[in-house]
Amino acid sequence: MSADTTHLIAVKDLAASYGHIEALRPTSLHVAPGEFVTILGPNGAGKTTLLRAITRLIPSKGQITFNGKDVSGLKTHDLAELGIIMVMEGRGLFGEMSVRENLQLGAYKLSGSPADMNRRLDKVFTLFPRLKERIDQMSSSMSGGEQQMLAVGRALMAEPKLLILDEPSLGLAPRVATEILSTLGALNKEGLGILLVEQKAPLALKLAQRVYILSSGSVRAELPTHEIKSHHDLARYYFS
Amino acid sequence: MPSVAELSQSLVNGVGIGLIYGLIAIGFSVIYNASGIVNFAQGVFVMLGGMFAHTLLTSYGIPIWLSAIISTVLVAAVGVLVQIFVINPMWRRNAPLFAIILATLAVQLLIEQVIILTLGDRPRTYPEFTAGGPLKIGTVAIPYQFFWVLGVGALLVFALTQFFNRTRMGRALRACAQNREAAALLGIPVERMLIVAFALSAGLGAVAGILITPTQYTAYLIGTPFGINGFIAAIIGGFGSPVAGLVGGVLLGVIQSEAIVFFGAGFRNIISLTVLLVVLMYFPKGLFGGLEKKA
Repeated sequence: MSADTTHLIAVKDLAASYGHIEALRPTSLHVAPGEFVTILGPNGAGKTTLLRAITRLIPSKGQITFNGKDVSGLKTHDLAELGIIMVMEGRGLFGEMSVRENLQLGAYKLSGSPADMNRRLDKVFTLFPRLKERIDQMSSSMSGGEQQMLAVGRALMAEPKLLILDEPSLGLAPRVATEILSTLGALNKEGLGILLVEQKAPLALKLAQRVYILSSGSVRAELPTHEIKSHHDLARYYFS
Repeated sequence: MPSVAELSQSLVNGVGIGLIYGLIAIGFSVIYNASGIVNFAQGVFVMLGGMFAHTLLTSYGIPIWLSAIISTVLVAAVGVLVQIFVINPMWRRNAPLFAIILATLAVQLLIEQVIILTLGDRPRTYPEFTAGGPLKIGTVAIPYQFFWVLGVGALLVFALTQFFNRTRMGRALRACAQNREAAALLGIPVERMLIVAFALSAGLGAVAGILITPTQYTAYLIGTPFGINGFIAAIIGGFGSPVAGLVGGVLLGVIQSEAIVFFGAGFRNIISLTVLLVVLMYFPKGLFGGLEKKA
């Protein structure tokens, strides 16, 4: 595959297995710089596996390029250094640490000054003011919505080029889920590339520019979100 | 019924040996928290600390303070080698944890055999760091080495607490302990953190060995009893923090020491293992709840 500079990330024929079970068949997708892409699909479609394969949390076959550079052989922490940051399903917070410590770890790769750290913290607090109120609280003692805000805020501390999110609204009240997803929409308008796996399809489709429909471990369709008019359309793609 | 003097003396002895167990327990905790691995080679680092320090002191005439530093660095390097050549290859192949734990046991036996071949099986010791003593308070005799153990133990616990709470690397190690995947997703190199954990843990074991050798002895086979007692101390305190490990060690040391006074030397291990069982049954997360994180 030639160097692809038109895509922020391009995944080609990515496949992953759990033992003998093929969880992800050769799958290709891409996200352009500043684009908001969502991946939809029924439970067990392979959405989480796809994200875990992209971020090298599980071994996979296939090619991944980021900003035109082949990153297939890199490890998870190297990808983070390049600017690929994922908010994992279940949030992945460090429960025995405070909000402050979680956020500081988000900027682990930061070698800049304390002023730079404070600037990043201020930006996160602007997006999620509740985190500032909870700054010294143990993250495990916060509500689900606050925890998700922290997970997203922590990811933003790394100043990612591509933010990957795996079902950030899972288990949240609709109002909180809307608040968090709307924040993602605002970040995307500022130029952040986003790849979102989400069960709340209507909200995701409202924010994203393009959608991949995943079913039984492979991409069934790729289309602009405006082409999906109803749940009926989605179901057709899911089970086609 | 033992006299007050006997009880006081055994209390001092128990605290002294307990601090050593505590340092070993912290070593267990550091690796366990960073990886989920119980490193049964931990005791061998204690043995190596004393053996290296003795060799540097007696064979090369290096002063004890410098021998202690060099020995600690050398043992930390052994810990790094164990991680790189034994643990990491298994870790990368996703070997089951029990296989990795068994491998650490094999490492202990292997290193013991290497020490027999290179340094021999003769027990050895060296003088206390401060000549003279013991300090007499009434009928209780406190060896000067006790103060070295107490001081170094307290200093190390303070330094480790600061390290884990206030430094970037310390926080990263704690992050690996709590969620390795999330840590990696933030750019923390988990495998490198495990190397740091092994170096730190081996260094702590070495310090324990260097401190205890003047009051007891060191030989190729002391790793197992010290390792077992350090492990029990870690379970009693919980695997959560340096303070928990040290307190667990002191509790174990005092229990063993008082058991000798009350019931005789033969009951030392019976009592301490009974305490271990009680803790496991009623406080499975340790007295300070450190294992909770892993549950």
